[in-house]
Amino acid sequence: MSEESTLDEFLGPKLTNTQMGIVVGGSLSSGLEVKINSKLSIERLAVGRYVVVEGRSGRRFFGLITDISLGSINPDMQRRPPDSSEEFVTQVYSSEVAFGSIHVSPMLMIDEDDDELRPIKTIPTHFSPVVEASAADVARVFGEEDETHFYVGTPLEMETVQVNLDLSRFVERSSGIFGKSGTGKSFITRTVLSGVIKSRLASALIFDMHNDYGWSVRDETGREFKGLRQLFTDGRVSVVTLDEDTSRARGSKIDRVLKIGYGQIQPEDVEMLSGLLGLSDVQVGALYYLRRRLGKDWISKLLQEDDSSELQGLLEDGRIIAGTLGAIQRKFEFFRRMDFLVPGEGDDALEDIFRRLTSGTSVVLEFGRFGDTLAAYVLVANYLTRRIHRRYVHMKNKAAGGKEEQPKPLVIVIEEAHKFLDPTIASHTIFGNIARELRKYNVTLLIVDQRPSAIDDEVMSQIGTRVTCLLDNEADIRAVFSGVSGVSALREVLARLDTRQQAIILGHAVPMPVVVRTRDYDENFYASIGVLEGNALRDGAIQGSETLFGD
Amino acid sequence: MAGDPTLIGRVTRSSTLGFVGALKSPEPEIPVFGMFCKCEAQRGKSDVLGVIYNINIEDDDLTRQIAAAERPTEEELADQQYVRQIPIEFEALAVGYRLTEAYFYTLPPQPPLALAPIRPMKSDEIVQFTNQFEFIPLILSASNLPVDALLAACLRKASVARPRQERQNFLLEAGRYCAKLLSHDLPRMDSFLRILCFEEKSAI
Ligand SMILES: Nc1ncnc2c1ncn2[C@@H]1O[C@H](COP(=O)(O)OP(=O)(O)O)[C@@H](O)[C@H]1O
Ligand SMILES: [Mg+2]
Repeated sequence: MSEESTLDEFLGPKLTNTQMGIVVGGSLSSGLEVKINSKLSIERLAVGRYVVVEGRSGRRFFGLITDISLGSINPDMQRRPPDSSEEFVTQVYSSEVAFGSIHVSPMLMIDEDDDELRPIKTIPTHFSPVVEASAADVARVFGEEDETHFYVGTPLEMETVQVNLDLSRFVERSSGIFGKSGTGKSFITRTVLSGVIKSRLASALIFDMHNDYGWSVRDETGREFKGLRQLFTDGRVSVVTLDEDTSRARGSKIDRVLKIGYGQIQPEDVEMLSGLLGLSDVQVGALYYLRRRLGKDWISKLLQEDDSSELQGLLEDGRIIAGTLGAIQRKFEFFRRMDFLVPGEGDDALEDIFRRLTSGTSVVLEFGRFGDTLAAYVLVANYLTRRIHRRYVHMKNKAAGGKEEQPKPLVIVIEEAHKFLDPTIASHTIFGNIARELRKYNVTLLIVDQRPSAIDDEVMSQIGTRVTCLLDNEADIRAVFSGVSGVSALREVLARLDTRQQAIILGHAVPMPVVVRTRDYDENFYASIGVLEGNALRDGAIQGSETLFGD
Repeated sequence: MAGDPTLIGRVTRSSTLGFVGALKSPEPEIPVFGMFCKCEAQRGKSDVLGVIYNINIEDDDLTRQIAAAERPTEEELADQQYVRQIPIEFEALAVGYRLTEAYFYTLPPQPPLALAPIRPMKSDEIVQFTNQFEFIPLILSASNLPVDALLAACLRKASVARPRQERQNFLLEAGRYCAKLLSHDLPRMDSFLRILCFEEKSAI
């Protein structure tokens, strides 16, 4: 087989008839300038589409259109435009003198003599022809869907091509899903998590602030969508709730209720709330002292209505003043309002959740009405994550010593992630640690956030795969691209995504950045996960009975 | 020249840059400004191709006298206008040559010899020659000539040599070719395109 034909086989036949233009300039760092063919209307182009540059040496370069502009041979033309009422004159101008150009960010290259996709190390020479990437070209880059590659969407204007996320790489490092409110973050998260759960590559612990993941959700038009617990009915997903009443009222199946005993709460857990509860540094310092002095029941004691002699004794010691104590007590009233916090020791919920996770069951922790209270969300997410992470560390260390199995990889999903990862706290919170230690202990994060600029830079730089819906704040856009080389040109694309169901995926889990229309979360999707409904279910049953009773 | 209807004149002076032809009396159609003509060179091996950029009618004493007279008679007028002693001269700019069957878009290797016959190019020859635009730079780079008007006139001739449905596209493509060459000088390009645009409207 000649080299040429291997190449053709790889990328399909060359499409000279859709030649868009030629490379006229550019650089590796800033991307390529392509002068477009005068026969092609630039009004038909769109940022975010793929092109293939056919290098003169036989190398082919895959790139993404990241900008579109109007060029002219003579810069004076802008000040002396031709008489636009003469059709003939404008036609003459608009090819050689005035022309459209596109900016292409090269993403991958394919050598002439093998079909490996390689990272970009050089650029095509001057005047290399540029063609539109065909569906076959793009499909080949994103590969086939299989057990560990999950279909999440289609590239812009290529409905027939599947973009498949490499799930093993996705869970290998922390990932992020970003976008303004209402752009489809929760839907993408649910889609991706379905893939992860289906593949059994990892368990997920989902801190479900808005009750989006466990049981059915309705959108603003009243349409109902299935939750993960409904997609996986074989016990691979458990729903644990903090708010049994709300969960029941929603008709959600519940696998257990989580209650946290006052006695289980440590000063460290409360410290995370200092900003939200308005605890001063002095008051935070006092928490540790109070815990030491009052013992396990410190919170109960602080919440006691009648002035106890024990507290009185503390004040007399002089280590804490009445103002501080009073303030702490006032702020602790918050615990009383959180019904999932109960006096005493609580139950074995933590152990149970840990067991589920390590045995491959994903856990959706529904917050019910407490999702509206950020402090409750931060408290519980920290509380559970710190303890579960500690166990994973322990298990992993044992496994390293050959005493125990490797723990099943765990993905922890948090929303409003910047509340956990803002620069002032990220360095000393559990979430910051998990993001930074990579997958050392088989635990990674999936952070869902609408304000990535508020997340600590160092944490952002550890995010392996970024799925980003529309963002319009300049700082947020910058944050999403920080630490990823060669993609800054994608800003233009990002700022122009549709307000819904479009996203840029870049990083670890895709071979090259891609703008997708995200997969519809509908009956077809459920079916692909293995859920049969209505007619399909009945047909399946009939078929089943046929095989059962047939020859 | 009654014997050879295709002849428009004979060479009186020439150089590789062009040639000058003379004829006794003009027909209504020939010679005209911007016309494509050809002239044998190298003993008939090649044709030098030219476009006519200037037509000269010189005076003599008699012409001046008649012009000054109160009323020249019909006879005097006809004699001066159609059977002149002093021939009419026209100048052509070389824009290429033909050697065997191929056209070349550069100056000819040798000029035509004196008295070589000059003939108009036929429509199919014009079409074939102007299928490529490389003759345009030769016209635009000629010095001290009204090159813009000349080029516009040539292109009009070349377009009307084509079937009606091809003319507009020809002028558009030619216009684009010219635009590339003139883009450094936008005012000039504007005025050139205005002429060409006029040609375009009248050609179709
Ligand atoms: N993949 C999808 N399939 C169907 N509808 C979607 C999809 N993505 C987004 N939507 C629609 O967009 C709305 C907002 O999505 P959501 O995920 O709740 O946004 P966010 O979490 O970013 O605020 C949903 O209620 C739904 O109607
Ligand atoms: Mg949401």
